Amino acid sequence: MNDGNRTPAAETSTPAAETSTPAAETSTPAAGARTPAAATRTPVVELKDVSRRFGKNYAVRNASLSIYPGEVVGLVGDNGAGKSTIVKIISGYIAPTSGSIEVNGEPVKFTSPRQAREAGIETVYQDLAIVNEMSLWRNFFLGQELFRHVLGIRVLRVREMAKICDEHLAEIGLTSVRSSRQNAATLSGGERQSLAISRAIHFESRLLLLDEPLAALSVRETRRVLEAIEAVKRKNLGVLYIDHNMDRVLPAADRIAIMHRGSISRIVRKGDLSVSELAEAVASSGTESHGEGGSEVGDGGGGNGGGR
Amino acid sequence: MTPAEDLSPNAARRAPATGMRRLGRRFLSCQELAPLIAVIVLFIIFEIFSGEIGFFTSLGETGLMSSVAAMTSPVGLVALGVTALMISGEFDLSVSATFALGPAIMGWILREWEWPILVCVFAGLFIVSIIGLINGLITTFIGVPSFIVTLGTLFAVTSWNRIILGGFPVLLSKEQRAGGIGNVLGGDIPNTPFAAPFVWMLGFGIILALVMRRTQYGNWTHAAGSLGGGVARAMGVPVRRVKLTNFVLAALLAGLAGILQFANFGSSSVASGDDLNLTAIVAVVIGGTSLFGAKGTVIGSMLGALILGTLKIGLVVVKVPPEYYLGLVGVLLILSAGLNARVEIIRRGGIKSTLFG
Repeated sequence: MNDGNRTPAAETSTPAAETSTPAAETSTPAAGARTPAAATRTPVVELKDVSRRFGKNYAVRNASLSIYPGEVVGLVGDNGAGKSTIVKIISGYIAPTSGSIEVNGEPVKFTSPRQAREAGIETVYQDLAIVNEMSLWRNFFLGQELFRHVLGIRVLRVREMAKICDEHLAEIGLTSVRSSRQNAATLSGGERQSLAISRAIHFESRLLLLDEPLAALSVRETRRVLEAIEAVKRKNLGVLYIDHNMDRVLPAADRIAIMHRGSISRIVRKGDLSVSELAEAVASSGTESHGEGGSEVGDGGGGNGGGR
Repeated sequence: MTPAEDLSPNAARRAPATGMRRLGRRFLSCQELAPLIAVIVLFIIFEIFSGEIGFFTSLGETGLMSSVAAMTSPVGLVALGVTALMISGEFDLSVSATFALGPAIMGWILREWEWPILVCVFAGLFIVSIIGLINGLITTFIGVPSFIVTLGTLFAVTSWNRIILGGFPVLLSKEQRAGGIGNVLGGDIPNTPFAAPFVWMLGFGIILALVMRRTQYGNWTHAAGSLGGGVARAMGVPVRRVKLTNFVLAALLAGLAGILQFANFGSSSVASGDDLNLTAIVAVVIGGTSLFGAKGTVIGSMLGALILGTLKIGLVVVKVPPEYYLGLVGVLLILSAGLNARVEIIRRGGIKSTLFG
């Protein structure tokens, strides 16, 4: 997670000037952008003119974005562009100061992550996906445990949960994992992400929110996670994929929204622009370039580690 | 997770585990194992050095085991709540004060207002729960670290104890102690070396151990203790509520332990439970609970309390001057924390964990 935009000060620190009104005709303007094919469908999640202010500074300003079922939308922008704030708004951590959110066409107001999850929004954070000290099945069902009431106490249905988790482990091809009773600390970064993603499928979520899922992953691990995202897409979930690195979003996304200084400056459809044009678009939005090759980049989000 | 940390334990896992290795790993992964071995070793040592086989572990009503049990039960009962709280990633230093507050409130009401004894017990438990609630609210809602909050309430409640008791202990009469309720709380159990508080400790310990392992609440408590509850919160776990409940539980059990001891001894003063905040935490750590949350066992904490009790009585038996007791506890504390760290490293496949590295 890039914590840059938690502090309002970071918002103003992007050096480049606001030069980014989209010039390319192919790009759809941010507000009211809709994929023609999807025009008749209801978006799983739609942000309408959402703003979030911290004091006098806007972390997010008038952002509008819709994500349709079976679609992967990439959200790209530099650290401090407001991506994480968008994630936190959709996942229920913070409420927008203005604007509205609709889930399946119905307006919602989340006051906690729990409510967002109940509405079918599953968020996978880069370093907050899995509890290391707990077993895989406990992780898989965390917050949505299966239980029976014994004297009014919620007693876990351990065997059932372990079995379901085992099935999912087999499905996502974590062959190196012996059983769901194993401790989660033994999982690699990609395996964590895959497991967390498969959780979204199991709980029949509507939207999967991925916060830099490929940061600090090897090439092979990257492939594994991309396959998991594909599987989610096939199950007709909407996916919002957040990253500051265009190269990492490109292989997965159907549409890409580019964020700059709290606003969604443009939304492009895959294939509308070439890779170099896209890179150009991001650069012109004031985004600094981030190393080539993408998947091996190990900067993995500045402020982690400290928590442990 | 740093990349290096990601990959290496993985590589170790893929190596085919031989039967011996697997057995060894399962052995190591049982967190209660180390304290259990320590208890057995201590028993053997004291048995041998007491000069008479069967002297130390005699189960007679006045045997040494009865003293060990009497030393163990208050520490153990307090340690139970502290364990749950520590698993959820928080700390309570004020338990020694709440331990004394429970009987102070109960005894004061009994003396001044002469309410029925059971009502006084519940009044005491109610007040200590409020102390736990205050600890929890300040920690979870204002965001003051629990270490500081509970240090503050330790002083505040100690001060309150002094105000209530004013230098005189509260007392239970012989009739009150022998009466039904007094007996259930603190009476000796005939034909066993144990008094009621020990059974209360065992009962609560077993219930809490089951709750921690087998219920949704236990699951949430563990999750709340990892990474400041970040993952848990993202997964929709009401982290604040879970921590708050554990704060109340820790205070409640500490107050109950104080009341049980009051019923057992017949008196309680400002000084009762004096060093419990430290010994309870020592018991919890010896029992294998991580100071960083998310990992720990209730049974281990009871074993930890048993180790402390055994050591205290055993040292007297083998004629080591009692002055050495605290020093030994200190050494034991560091040793067990070190052992836990090493076991953790082995379990992670030779990589130092970020917690202890």
